Amino acid sequence: MRKSYLLRHFFLRLKAFIFLLLLSLLIFNTIPLSASSVEDETDEFTEDHSHGDIQRGERFFKGLLPTDRKFESCVSCHILTHSDTLNWNPSAMDIAQKFKGKDFAEFQSAVMQPNGKKMEASHKDFKIEEEDLKKVKLYLDDLAVTGPPSTGPTINQIVIFLLLGLLMTFALLDLIFFHKIKYRFVTVLILIVALVVQVKMVADAAINLGRSQNYAPDQPIKFSHKVHAGDNQIDCKYCHHTAEFGKSAGIPAMELCMNCHVLVREGANSGKFEIAKVIDANETKKPVEWVRLHNLPDHVFFSHAQHVGVGKVDCKQCHGAVEEMDIMKQTSDLSMGWCINCHRDTKVNFKDNAYYDNYMKLHDELKGGGIDTIRAVNIGANDCMRCHY
Amino acid sequence: MKTYWRSIEELANPKELRRDEVREEAKQKSMLMRGDTALNAASRRDFLKTFGFGIAAASIVASCKRPVDKAIPYLVKPDEINPGTANYYASSYFEGNEYGSIIVKVRDGRPIKIEGNELSSISQGGTSARMQASVLNLYDDARFKGPLKNGQEITWEKADEEIVAQLAALNSQGGKVVLLSSTVISPSTKEIIQKFAEKQTNTEWIQYDPVSASGILEANRMSFGTAFIPDYRFKQAKVVVSFGADFLGSWLSTVEYTKGYTAARQLQDGRKEMLRHYQFESGLTLSGSNADVRFPIKPSEEGAIVLALYNAIATAKSGQLLSGAPSSVDVSDLANDLLENEKQSIVISGSNDVNIQLLVNGINQLLGNYGQTIGLENSLMTKQGIDGDTDRLLSDLKAGNVKALLVWNANPVYDHPKGKEFAEAIKKTGLSISLSERPDETTALCQYVLPESNLLESWNDLEPKAGIYSLSQPVIAPIFNSRQAQATLLKWTGADVNYRDYIKNFWKETQFPKQKNTTDFRHFWNTALQNGVFETAQESKLTYSSDGISQAASQIKGAVSGIEVALYESVAIGNGKYANNPWLQELPDPVAKISWDNFAAIPVAYATENGLKNEDVISINGIELPVFVQPGQAKDTISVALGYGREIAGKVGDQTGTNLYPYIGIENGTRQYFLTSAKVEKVAGKVFELAISQTHYSMEGRPIVRETTLDNYIKNPVSGNELKAEHESKSVTLYEAPVYNGHHWGMAIDLNSCTGCGNCAVACQAENNIQVIGKEQVRNRRIMHWIRIDRYYSENPENPKVSFQPVMCQHCGNAPCENVCPVAATPHSEEGLNQMAYNRCVGTKYCINNCPYRVRRFNWFQYVKNDKFDFASNSDLGRMVLNPDVTVRSRGVVEKCSMCVQRIQEKKQLAKLEGRPIAEGEIKTACSQSCPGNAIVFGDLENPESRISKLFKDQRNYHLLEELHTLPSVGYLTKVRNTKA
Repeated sequence: MRKSYLLRHFFLRLKAFIFLLLLSLLIFNTIPLSASSVEDETDEFTEDHSHGDIQRGERFFKGLLPTDRKFESCVSCHILTHSDTLNWNPSAMDIAQKFKGKDFAEFQSAVMQPNGKKMEASHKDFKIEEEDLKKVKLYLDDLAVTGPPSTGPTINQIVIFLLLGLLMTFALLDLIFFHKIKYRFVTVLILIVALVVQVKMVADAAINLGRSQNYAPDQPIKFSHKVHAGDNQIDCKYCHHTAEFGKSAGIPAMELCMNCHVLVREGANSGKFEIAKVIDANETKKPVEWVRLHNLPDHVFFSHAQHVGVGKVDCKQCHGAVEEMDIMKQTSDLSMGWCINCHRDTKVNFKDNAYYDNYMKLHDELKGGGIDTIRAVNIGANDCMRCHY
Repeated sequence: MKTYWRSIEELANPKELRRDEVREEAKQKSMLMRGDTALNAASRRDFLKTFGFGIAAASIVASCKRPVDKAIPYLVKPDEINPGTANYYASSYFEGNEYGSIIVKVRDGRPIKIEGNELSSISQGGTSARMQASVLNLYDDARFKGPLKNGQEITWEKADEEIVAQLAALNSQGGKVVLLSSTVISPSTKEIIQKFAEKQTNTEWIQYDPVSASGILEANRMSFGTAFIPDYRFKQAKVVVSFGADFLGSWLSTVEYTKGYTAARQLQDGRKEMLRHYQFESGLTLSGSNADVRFPIKPSEEGAIVLALYNAIATAKSGQLLSGAPSSVDVSDLANDLLENEKQSIVISGSNDVNIQLLVNGINQLLGNYGQTIGLENSLMTKQGIDGDTDRLLSDLKAGNVKALLVWNANPVYDHPKGKEFAEAIKKTGLSISLSERPDETTALCQYVLPESNLLESWNDLEPKAGIYSLSQPVIAPIFNSRQAQATLLKWTGADVNYRDYIKNFWKETQFPKQKNTTDFRHFWNTALQNGVFETAQESKLTYSSDGISQAASQIKGAVSGIEVALYESVAIGNGKYANNPWLQELPDPVAKISWDNFAAIPVAYATENGLKNEDVISINGIELPVFVQPGQAKDTISVALGYGREIAGKVGDQTGTNLYPYIGIENGTRQYFLTSAKVEKVAGKVFELAISQTHYSMEGRPIVRETTLDNYIKNPVSGNELKAEHESKSVTLYEAPVYNGHHWGMAIDLNSCTGCGNCAVACQAENNIQVIGKEQVRNRRIMHWIRIDRYYSENPENPKVSFQPVMCQHCGNAPCENVCPVAATPHSEEGLNQMAYNRCVGTKYCINNCPYRVRRFNWFQYVKNDKFDFASNSDLGRMVLNPDVTVRSRGVVEKCSMCVQRIQEKKQLAKLEGRPIAEGEIKTACSQSCPGNAIVFGDLENPESRISKLFKDQRNYHLLEELHTLPSVGYLTKVRNTKA
């Protein structure tokens, strides 16, 4: 009797152990995956100057050299990593890319002879030895190839999940062997709460799988919708001009940017650096590769024309207060439930569009007073065939 | 009731066949479940692989980062291009001697679909299966990627330089240069060739067609003084007699003829008369299966029968009688029918024998058809090759008289009866240049390969019929480093002009003066380019003379004894140029319902006598071919399709079937597409598996084809459709009748207009991203076509009556599939469509089992990006053809006809934006849009004025399996045969 009891609990322990083992395996597998490096490509840049030079440049850039300069270090403005909040100054990576393959003189003149209000304010009377600046350039060239330092994966969720698992294991062990905690219901409570939290975490993760609400990636240009749509009151459809009649709202062609930026060459926030990218793109004939924000799954066929052109839905309703966003983000979760709820509520402009003349029965009911409004759902907006084919 | 059957086996014992089929189906499924145990048993290694994959997948999911998609805008956006919106450009198709005026759909810079151009008087908005499939040729990996010299890459500049130097050297020595091309119908190209010949003084241009119309051309040269193919106007005919000409399937201008033929036979809107069609032929062709009266004959009997018909008509017209071999068929009834319909009949022959064609001309002259149903003004230009020319070329080549050979768009090594001799001769020629788009048996032997662009990448002007012009325009920049053949020739003549400007200039000089609508050339050019066609009125001063006809009659030989083999072009593959096109390879032959192979079609009686059955192997003069027992095959004949057995075509076409071109005989200087006195033996113990789909998707003997005769129809329009009233009177239901508020989409199919050509199946495939699954899977009854064309036989197996019936999802109001789906993946829409949400489908296949129409298809495998299915969708290039508006289905989901819901949505959207109701005929499904028979009508059943509502009220209208009360949204109109009572 006693023996089988022990055996059973040994198996329970074993299960918990395997569970933990698997979870830790998960984490260890994750880390090397995200930390990819491109070391092999750096060789060509380190031919005629030592690794030490680059390091010195890096130290200078990061303000690590003991100097009595009264200036801020480069990195304090030109950050190395991607950030969640908009930093208007060009990042180190941006600068590195821009001056990659260009000669030192050009770099020097850009740094030492500030051009434009914004840059003048920060680079004014900037002093640096030419040798040091050369090393900074070397460092930046190197950076252009190696890419920004990688940030580790955010494992908070997994850590919490694991800790909860540990907690449960201890609770279980206490419940069976140690009996350190006097009241049994406390251990049971811990077990249950931890389990519920864990299930909730898994469920949330599963629901959000493939969804990306609040997704706000860094874009190749620090383009601010706030500046354009908010401060300068440019109509959405000026740039996204196919929204009313096309499936896609359209990303403006580079030439369209030039309609204004042929004159507007310096911005209040970012100075000349960001706008120069647009001008460069036009000159080098290489369009800017924006990071796509709103990604619907491939089996969803959404049409802007239907919503903006026919339904007269305000852009804000789905895209949020774009005019207040410096960094564009995905406001809605773009889930099917979200679509369907809106279709249930939205009233259709039934009388003024001759297309709906076909819907005679509904017109009769409207006249007869049987119904007072036609909502999108009443004319089949929630049929599968509307979006999936 | 009439008994319908689909194969000889079913006729013999339908129950046993059904049992066998069920068994076979079960076997296939269980094999799939089990896998091939010997090969696929999971080993320790497999376990480790799976385990490792599982861990890796889990860790990736744990660190789940969405892939970052880029959105790259235009630098300068062209005005007419809006991302996500298709553009349509008029162009022209002319390949393999087939012409069609087309509209190309271009999405985001990629041509993805071909439609017919309604402005053309020739194709009239129709297309053929080959035209539909041609868009896939553009994205074929097999195409040449750039110019080659002896198989090594070379630049265009270098190649031009070398060739021009060699040509100049030849010119100074007076060495002969031959340009061997397929028929050229481009007026500007002809001028370029002429210019080239002027510069290269000793140049000969030879046009060569693998399946030629030499007989007709030569006969008309004797009868009218010029070699031409007349303009057959089937629309105006009351009686058509065809001797072996498959004018609906492969003969000359099939789309045009189908349009006219079906127009003359349709009985909608109270029409009470229809064309009567007589067909004499050996194998059961598409035309033969549509004929009202069909005479199975041996190819060698044809001449004597034509002669007898001539004499019968001449007797009545008291003309001169001709003496010759006696006929085996009594043609007096036929002659009477023709005489009753003088000036309203057409007699044609597919024979390449000049004598037979001369007699046919004589008959048409006696009947007064010239100038009436057979026009002489707009002669057809699509076949110009004279057989004797290539034979002469071959002897010149062998003798070493030809110093340089340019081969453009021709493949004599494969498709000439003396292909092997051509191969030897080309190898010995001093300079051989190929201007071919893709590798073939001939290009492999040429020193230089200067690849020409695909027709969708090219400029061209065409004159398919005299006085009827059309333009081709590129719809995509050349994908590979190719150059149009015209541009190449222009370059060699030293002209520094691009071909577009050349055509434009040419049109300014030649076509612009022919019209009076505008005085501004730019306006004229833009209009012509936008319309794709420019048609002018023609006059003809040709007069008939009976020269040579009595001599022709005397040369007609009587029937020969022994087995004869008729060689024909199949509807899908044609002359073999498109053998590398997987859509066409998988399209089942309209009559035999076999894909992926050619086969020997043998008569039913012969099979019984010799103990042959399907998939046995016979040898015909030493060529081994799989047997297919074909009802309707004439006694003592065997039919085999040409165009198969390519050796250098690409991954799909290579070694598919057997090449029969080398067995074509030559008689009186023209190639004869049949063999007499063939030696046929059974190859004992050998079996060749064929992808036969004729008995797939059985409807268990229920009356789903309904037909009547014209006489009965005139007496009683409901005739043949009496069951409908009976079913409706008995209809009881527990379900509520479906209610439609705005639209109810439906489709009406006129069985009298459907010729069974298969265009709709390929059109649907192109529109809806339907995947090719290959021979083995077709055999396993998994063909994915959303629309299949069922072919039923009835009556006498030696000469059966044939009915075609396109079947797709019937979009039932009470759909049996809908209420068995456990995950609601296939609900009913408010617009009457039976929807299919692929991402909801979990693949239980309950719906497939519960569908009485067998129209649902299951993705048994991943057919895209899978090396095991190495067809069009296994490369990035091949996938360019996918329609971005339709989901590409993955493994494990069910799919079926959606009634092109993406097109419905698009047009609804447009109407809403413009604030107007949807216009009648505005929405067209892929199958209905390009149907050459106008057999399919799509529309809104809620609109009482619509064409489809009227057709649904037609007394010929019925639904499949009405007794089940599924309330289909698809209606069929009974087939009416015009047999003489």
